[in-house]
Amino acid sequence: MSNTVHILVIDDEPQILRAMRTILTEKQFKVTVASRGEEGLALAAANEPDLIILDLGLPDMDGVEVCTRLREWTQIPIIILSVRDSERDKVAALDKGADDYLTKPFGIEELLARVRVALRHSARVQGTQSKVVRAGRLTIDLAWHIVKLDEEEVKLTGTEHKLLAYLATNHGRVLTHQNILSNVWGPADADHTEYLRVYMRQLRKKLEADPERPQYILTEPGIGYRFIADE
Amino acid sequence: MNSANMRSSSLLSRFQRYLLPIVCISAVTAVFFILRAVLDTTLIALLYLIPLGMITAYWGLGPGISSALLTFLVFNYFFIEPYYLLAVHQPSDVVILIVFLIVAVVISQLVARAQAGLALATTREREATQLYELSVALAGLHNDHAIAEILAKHVQAISQGEAVELNLVGAQPFVFHLPENNSLTRTPELIVPIQAARGILGQIRLWRAVPAISSGERRLLQTFASQGALALERAALAQAESRARVLEESDKLKSAILSSVSHELRTPLSTIKAAASSLRGKEVGWDSPARGELIAAIDDEADHLNILVGNLLDMSRIESGALKPKREWNILSEIVGSVLARMKHSAEEHQIEVEVSDNLPLVPVDYVQMQQVFTNLLSNSLKYAPVNTTICIRAYAEEEMIRVQVTNQGPQVPPEHLERIFDKFYRTTAADRVTGTGLGLSICKGIVEAHGGHIWAENLTSGLAFNFTLPLIWDGAPPPRLPIDMETE
Repeated sequence: MSNTVHILVIDDEPQILRAMRTILTEKQFKVTVASRGEEGLALAAANEPDLIILDLGLPDMDGVEVCTRLREWTQIPIIILSVRDSERDKVAALDKGADDYLTKPFGIEELLARVRVALRHSARVQGTQSKVVRAGRLTIDLAWHIVKLDEEEVKLTGTEHKLLAYLATNHGRVLTHQNILSNVWGPADADHTEYLRVYMRQLRKKLEADPERPQYILTEPGIGYRFIADE
Repeated sequence: MNSANMRSSSLLSRFQRYLLPIVCISAVTAVFFILRAVLDTTLIALLYLIPLGMITAYWGLGPGISSALLTFLVFNYFFIEPYYLLAVHQPSDVVILIVFLIVAVVISQLVARAQAGLALATTREREATQLYELSVALAGLHNDHAIAEILAKHVQAISQGEAVELNLVGAQPFVFHLPENNSLTRTPELIVPIQAARGILGQIRLWRAVPAISSGERRLLQTFASQGALALERAALAQAESRARVLEESDKLKSAILSSVSHELRTPLSTIKAAASSLRGKEVGWDSPARGELIAAIDDEADHLNILVGNLLDMSRIESGALKPKREWNILSEIVGSVLARMKHSAEEHQIEVEVSDNLPLVPVDYVQMQQVFTNLLSNSLKYAPVNTTICIRAYAEEEMIRVQVTNQGPQVPPEHLERIFDKFYRTTAADRVTGTGLGLSICKGIVEAHGGHIWAENLTSGLAFNFTLPLIWDGAPPPRLPIDMETE
């Protein structure tokens, strides 16, 4: 990257900070670290980093709270770190405006992929939205509402199309059940996960080669879904 | 019978106790009077002693003494000259009369004492029998409630009271009524505390107005109460002992867990340490193929370590009851599919068949926990079933539930161990053959049961099957039927 991207890592574990600093610096990122929530908030306000990696288990304040406070004034992408079995916290943080999550322990490719997606998404939000999303054999024309598998048009119902369009617009990002439901069906239906299950199954049957092992629409267990597009 | 009636009948019986002796003496006197011509005065005096003794034996000391006095007067009146006067002419007759009175009174007293002794002995014997029966009934009881019940029943049996109530105080207060719907509102006639070394354990409350509770009964009931106290103490001691034993067992289990866990954790750690240190040193060249292998080993073993720690966390959550499924309506085939996709590499040497229709009803389960169940059942099957055999996952809807079966062609489990394989750290084979914490199946059991389902294993003609059920009803609601729009754009 030409301009050095600045990443703020907020985590209370020195080993994690050490590893992150080493790895991210190696990858040509500029890294600032904070070990407490308040310190992180202060650094975020002072330095305006391009991305924040935030651990949910901080000693002084709840990670979800940090998310909420950050979102009061900035749209800096936030990637949360958390341990297994804390789906509730992850979902809460994602619904409070975090962009993505990683479960500890994680591989570095995973971390870098999340960082890339988050940065690209924030660039997309600021800049112009690409009208066509490509994923493997799949082409989704968001402007013309056309979905093609190879060169063949796929017939989708209205709701299916709306759902796929929402996923594709946010490709690469994890979307919580509630997020998808309230954006596609409306806030009144935000708890009807069963709608999602059924429509996702229909979409996968129409789009995926093997609907049980999807390539494009991935399930994030206990959290939501993620649409994987070509880079 | 109401109490007024009872009181009059008791009056009547008291009246009879004094009336009947008078009748008796009169009859005997009539007979003697007829035979007065042939009977000597001294002989009559002697003969009078017979009915007197019998009266005392029958009706007790009071009637006996009063009959003796009456006889003394009658004897004087009818048989001692001058007749029909309470006067004595002959000095010898005075002696006869005095001797008669003394003998009559002494005999009455002796007979009465013998009678009282006999009655006491009988009562004592009955009490001893009742006490014996109570202690036999209480022996071996280790439950406070059962002890209270038995005690109340025995109190009721000996006292014939209107009602008996047994109150136990302490950590788990308990009241036992006999009869069950005790409607008496007045204070009980007798309250006996159940007193033990560690304080008052409760009380026996007895309602019986008539006949009044005698001091003997009171004493007996107190003995009953102390028997009850002993039984309760014994039960408490037995409970304390079994608690101590459970603690000891769980202590043993904890050390088993610790040793198993440290062994299991150390294995991947050793690999990671060895690989990392050799990468750090100069033994492995930058472009040596060993380098890639070592790095892969570190990566794999770290994942393995992560799974082990995850299992331990799951287990502790299950044990502490903190494993609460976050239920949502899910598609079972999707869960199975995601598990298979994730386990693709470890399942390479087996054939996996899946018969889970995506037309099954939606199941109300925690997606992540259900993944865990399938992952553990599959890895167990992969571990024990020989390579190139088939592992099959089936699911079908039964009435109000889904039944899932995972079968493999691995070794059978001895029938008596089929339940125990879901215990923590249970292994069918020697621990060194197969690695793992020995927690996988018990985690499955914990998760399935937290969902309200049931899990069991069965031997097949060639292999082993894990079965589990999941209820389809969630909060009283069946799986939703969805509005599916069929229009196309």
